[in-house]
Amino acid sequence: MFWRLIRGALFRQKGKMLMIAFTIALGASLATAMLNVMLDVGDKVNQELKTYGANIQVIPKEASLLGDLYGLGEDSGAAERYLRESELGSLKTIFWAFNIVDFAPYLNVRAQLLDESPDAAKTGGEEIRLVGAWFAKHLDLPTGESVDTGMRNMKSWWEVDGEWLTDADEDAAMAGSLLAERAGLAAGDRIRVGAQGGTRELTITGIFNAGSDEDERLYVPLKTAQAMAGRAGVVSSVEVSALTTPDNELSRRAAQNPKSLSTKEWETWYCTAYVSAICYQIEEALGDSVAKPIRQVAESEGAILEKTQLLMLLITILSLAGSALGISNLVTAGVMERSREIGLLKALGANNAPVSWLVLTEVLLTGAVGGAAGYFAGLGFAQIIGHTVFGSAISIKPMVIPLVGLLVLAVILAGSIPSIRLLLSLRPAEVLHGR
Amino acid sequence: MTRQAMYVKMITSSLLRRRSRMAVALLAVAVGATILSGLVTIYYDIPRQMGQEFRSYGANLIFIAPPGGDTSGEGVSEAAAAEALSYIPDSAVVGVAPYRYKSAKINEQPFMAAGTDLEGARKASPYWFVAGEWPQDDGFVLIGQEVADTVRLLPGSSFTLTGTDDGGESFSKDLQVSGVVQTGGSEEAFIFLSLSDFDAAIGGNGNYDVVECSISAPQAELEGIAAQISENVSGLTPRLVKRVTQSEGTVLTKLQALVFLVTAVVLVLTMICVATTMMAVVTERRKEIGLKKALGAPDRSIMQEFLGEGLFLGCVGGICGVFLGFAFAQIIGINVFSRSVSFQPLLIPLTIAASALITVLACAVPVRRAVEVDPAIVLRGE
Repeated sequence: MFWRLIRGALFRQKGKMLMIAFTIALGASLATAMLNVMLDVGDKVNQELKTYGANIQVIPKEASLLGDLYGLGEDSGAAERYLRESELGSLKTIFWAFNIVDFAPYLNVRAQLLDESPDAAKTGGEEIRLVGAWFAKHLDLPTGESVDTGMRNMKSWWEVDGEWLTDADEDAAMAGSLLAERAGLAAGDRIRVGAQGGTRELTITGIFNAGSDEDERLYVPLKTAQAMAGRAGVVSSVEVSALTTPDNELSRRAAQNPKSLSTKEWETWYCTAYVSAICYQIEEALGDSVAKPIRQVAESEGAILEKTQLLMLLITILSLAGSALGISNLVTAGVMERSREIGLLKALGANNAPVSWLVLTEVLLTGAVGGAAGYFAGLGFAQIIGHTVFGSAISIKPMVIPLVGLLVLAVILAGSIPSIRLLLSLRPAEVLHGR
Repeated sequence: MTRQAMYVKMITSSLLRRRSRMAVALLAVAVGATILSGLVTIYYDIPRQMGQEFRSYGANLIFIAPPGGDTSGEGVSEAAAAEALSYIPDSAVVGVAPYRYKSAKINEQPFMAAGTDLEGARKASPYWFVAGEWPQDDGFVLIGQEVADTVRLLPGSSFTLTGTDDGGESFSKDLQVSGVVQTGGSEEAFIFLSLSDFDAAIGGNGNYDVVECSISAPQAELEGIAAQISENVSGLTPRLVKRVTQSEGTVLTKLQALVFLVTAVVLVLTMICVATTMMAVVTERRKEIGLKKALGAPDRSIMQEFLGEGLFLGCVGGICGVFLGFAFAQIIGINVFSRSVSFQPLLIPLTIAASALITVLACAVPVRRAVEVDPAIVLRGE
């Protein structure tokens, strides 16, 4: 009997129920889309922020940053120290391997532009900084996975006039814009470069403009640089671009001294993608290395991520509140309309409880249908946003389903219970009379 | 009683008599309008607010000595720097830090001494992590982590800086460490002195080697400023720090597109929600419409009356929404960015017009349908 009444109500008032279901679907799709986007926006923005380049620098222990500075220190005769190229693959085997987006090793070599170049007009004998690097290197890991990495992805802001280098082309080079201007180089030129380990003839494939002191350098594939330096299988630094969690008090303390943490804190720290934790694990993976966060990038990423997430959270709350009010309004209106029917039921001797259940079941059924339809529509909206803005799919979080379900349930109950109580308090005779 | 007066009376009494139902409708419209004005305000304010956040990446425009040319005036003179800075709108400047470099020694170990406006450096490079204090007085300096490790200095310890000044004379100056800088970059091998200490110890011609500026402006505007400066100011070359400007442009565009799409989706859905609520409210009154028709009211005047009510609701809801929306945007601005958002006056008419339009449209559909039905059928309750 109960179900017959419900079926009757649902089908007799098809239009009205469809409208309620439609509004609930809209609200649910909004909630689904916003929640999915909000939960994923951190990862997505983090990816975008990778355009700022590396946030971790790995150098050999006891090596000094001094060499980086205006050439100072290179003459000071400090013992040269290196990292081993063969170990680099193990970067992708650490606990947070998945968070390491890209990495590129560099080998700095002091070299000279030689005079007897085929094109005699070029200036020669000038001291230059030659840097060997990976550009788009394909690595096969012992774990059976393979990685493509290198500086091409990490230096997205470089403007290259000509072609990017490839790792296979060992007789090619890329010159910085300032160096090229000084030495009169252009893409396609051939130059002779000499260093400790020998002299080589290189073809310039492109001139890049990086807008920093990299513009003074000449880039070659790592193999070439190693041959010219006479040191096989070594690199002088590695830049790592990793997805990280914004720092908090724990990670700051850990960065100062990981040993100061209690076992439990240490575990939390080690198993969270803090930049200091990733650095620590890189140091474990690469022998005799020091990994340092590049604060300019690491710190700013944290700040921007936090702001974006908070912003999206607040927008989500606003839209959820908006759709909740809309739905609950409509449900109230829908229930209020049923005053005559409820009056009739009561006049026929129905108790308050079954009447309430009847109305509630009806609304909840409508809500369930609307909510389910809305959930899938919302997934569609989320994907549209993901593809248009970030060019990649928004990952679907299962936890959104119970959240949306609870939300719809709460909103429907909040919208219908007060109006049902109001209707029950009315006297059937008056209602039926139409007052 | 004139026609107009009757019309107004009908609308007001209809609104007043059905207070609770009208409150529901008004609430729906107001919520829709709040979301509209709130989200649009945020959307317009995002580049400004986020742009400020992006300044934590540090300097995005630097002035360096012009390449080649006369070598007599090495570096950037103070006058040229001041002239160049006058081309940048004051409100956009986040921090300016001029630097002078000279190699110097501590315990016969070579390091690079940098003279700078420390307060400016703090603003231009907010990512520096200083263990200890920023120097407040002359005689106090910041040293890089690497200097601290090599010479074993801690905040609070004193050291003597020695070297030869520009005139070729040797100097020595006692200084006290107030803080140790960690950046992960080359700054860790620097000793940062205030300009007055630097001048007192090392001297020099008063020219800067480089001036770092952190400017809160979109990429295109920055390029414009740089072009203007290089055209009008001689004695220095402005250069954009590509890594910072370019990447900021990329990320900001994405963020703005994100908020735009989210705003669009939320708006469309909210507006449909408002429309369905209004439809439900009007559909309920089919009986009233039937009664009026039975009494001889022409369709036109019934339409007019309902649309008038809708217009009234839309306008009142819109006005509430404008202010609630701004309040909401303000809350977001203060909570997320700790800055207030700017009010967009254009949003007032826009919000009111949009909410009025949506309500009127949402009323029109069910009223038209009710009007078309034979009054007898409606009144009988079928």
